[in-house]
Amino acid sequence: MNMTEPMFLALTALVDEPRHGYGILQEVDRLSEGRTQLKIGTLYGVLDRLSAAGLVALDREEVQQGRLRRYYRLTDEGARALQEEAARLAATAHAATARLRVRTAGGAA
Amino acid sequence: MSLLEQRYRSVLRLLPASYRAEREEEMVSAFTEMSGEVPDEVNPRPRWGEIASVLALSVRVRLGGVGATPRAFAWGRAVRLLALLGLAHQSMYATSELIGLAHQFTRGTDHQLTAGQPLSFERLMSIAVLAATVCSAVAFAAIVRGHVRWAKVTALLGAAPMVVYFVVPMVLAGYSGDGPLTEATRLALVLLPLAALLAGFHSDFEPTRGPWTLALAPAAAGLALLGWPGAALALGLRDPEWIYMWLDLGMVVAAWAVGATVVLARRRSASWALALSAAGLLLLAARLPALTNLPAGVEWAAVCVQCALLGTLSAALAATGLGRLPAVRSAPGP
Repeated sequence: MNMTEPMFLALTALVDEPRHGYGILQEVDRLSEGRTQLKIGTLYGVLDRLSAAGLVALDREEVQQGRLRRYYRLTDEGARALQEEAARLAATAHAATARLRVRTAGGAA
Repeated sequence: MSLLEQRYRSVLRLLPASYRAEREEEMVSAFTEMSGEVPDEVNPRPRWGEIASVLALSVRVRLGGVGATPRAFAWGRAVRLLALLGLAHQSMYATSELIGLAHQFTRGTDHQLTAGQPLSFERLMSIAVLAATVCSAVAFAAIVRGHVRWAKVTALLGAAPMVVYFVVPMVLAGYSGDGPLTEATRLALVLLPLAALLAGFHSDFEPTRGPWTLALAPAAAGLALLGWPGAALALGLRDPEWIYMWLDLGMVVAAWAVGATVVLARRRSASWALALSAAGLLLLAARLPALTNLPAGVEWAAVCVQCALLGTLSAALAATGLGRLPAVRSAPGP
């Protein structure tokens, strides 16, 4: 499955604890330092796709002040997929950093 | 219930009922938490970004991709097939027009495929339309090879000059072409496959890389389109009037009828049946004006046969496709 940035951020938001829809939105906002602000339609599209792929699952339902809250958790398969994607992104970032270092060193010489 | 919540619930009506039954309360809960307390007096409305995200979700849910219900996936596949059929149709014409143009240039004759005087607006638009047709051919090859973004960009480029070519004269001077139905049909033949491409190949669809033989198949059909008159002459079919009605669009109708018969005989795929039915109705709209333009005779009879084929087979395909759609089930649950 091609993992988009919203999918990557939603999975990351669920690593430490199960979260409900608005909780995921807040955590994605925090993780991306405000760069990515998911819309609700986008978030539920992402959750549908991650659920269908078995990467997230329903943890529990709560009703607070008459409002339904569904909490989602990261599955083991989701954790594996996130780890692989994080490693891939880290390798790309590492390659970029190394090349920039060479460029900076070349400019300084 | 606050005014803002009421309005957000109205926006959610864009989603299918089965999806709303599963998700509405949860989405409203997230929305109201995000919005906080907003008094009705300020006449609050959901932001355009939120509305657009629900609209996009609605398209993805209805025209399903990965993880969708079988019924939504079948509708999505039908729309994607309609896009492919439309782009293949345009690619075929692009090939035959380009070869015709190249032939006229190499022979040194004035090219009739580009209208108007040299350097005139009409000539410029004519060349732009020709270039746009080539873009449609590139779009078909791109989508078959799995390059969705390239396909969408080139298809948009392909449609833009044609829209200008048809719409601007209509706005400036009223329609001056072959009649409003003909002009509207020509536009629909370009715009409907484009809309199907943009809506059907969404982010929940995982593209696959098809073979080059399929990507280039419309080009081969375009060559056949050029070769058929020569073949008819070689077979000794000297100047029969009816044959002209089975060239060009007539050939497309004949190919469509063969495909429709195969799909009806196999009765397997709802998506193929629905896509071919929609394509058949478009072809019927394109063919119908010929009935009023032609005098009674052999050509008129040939067009009657084509319209009858298109009408009856399209209806049969629609009935088969709707009948074979998977049953309605609830949306993918959480």
